Amino acid sequence: MNTRLLMTLRVTVAAPQTIGAVPHGTRRTVPITGGAFEGPRLRGTVLPDGSANWLLLRADGVLELDLRATLRTDEGGLISMRSFGLRHGPPDVIAALARGEAVDPAAYYFRTTPRFETAHPACAFLNHLITVATGDRRAEGPIYTIHELL
Amino acid sequence: MNARPLMRLRLTTAATLEVGSTPHGMLSVFPITGGSFDGERLRGLVLGGADWVTAAGDGTFELDLRLTLETDDGALIHMTFSGVRDDANHYFRTLPRFETAAPNYAFLNRLLAVGIGEVHPDGPVHTIEEIL
Repeated sequence: MNTRLLMTLRVTVAAPQTIGAVPHGTRRTVPITGGAFEGPRLRGTVLPDGSANWLLLRADGVLELDLRATLRTDEGGLISMRSFGLRHGPPDVIAALARGEAVDPAAYYFRTTPRFETAHPACAFLNHLITVATGDRRAEGPIYTIHELL
Repeated sequence: MNARPLMRLRLTTAATLEVGSTPHGMLSVFPITGGSFDGERLRGLVLGGADWVTAAGDGTFELDLRLTLETDDGALIHMTFSGVRDDANHYFRTLPRFETAAPNYAFLNRLLAVGIGEVHPDGPVHTIEEIL
């Protein structure tokens, strides 16, 4: 698998909204309050309105993530990002994350597959990219290192 | 990014069904009639499915595949992928996902994967790697 760095995306989050037990697991929504992204070809900020991560904790202990966010490049282009992901790990590691402790991201599996949509010509290359990301869950919000699949 | 091989998936297809122009573009359905998959941890046959392919209008295609795999020890695996095919740039990449109830293959429920597709005369071949 050949990849190259697309961007590092840092988002800040608000307190989760716990929906609770739903037919497919336990659902929580984590509002995104802002953030920033930076890479060799694009950089900018995360718009808070309408951006959130919809989480579903499955019965097998795997957390499914469904992140939707709007990014604004420093040239003013808007990018709609959607990213499906999975997070799981040993129970003690997941418990430490839940307590907001700093945990080595290598100690758990946190991977996502972002897709992008944009009408901005300078960012049009994003429309047809398949990308993969590694996540680093911090108390203030996750950091995603997103690589383009070449 | 680190990855390791998961499987090579070979698909056989029937004649394409041209649904035509829809609000999202030109939709074609590629029925999958069979095939096989082979990797270090799993191998077996493709029971069938289809790939719903929408032409974006700029020469690229958005892929939406669903099929069922049967391993050589009898487990059924539900597989889907979304993907992009851009023949002008030789870009054919997918994001496979798997669901199974078989304990031997439960690891598939917990991984994300990427696929590199190739168009062969007898059907597409996907080289799928697990994202580590």
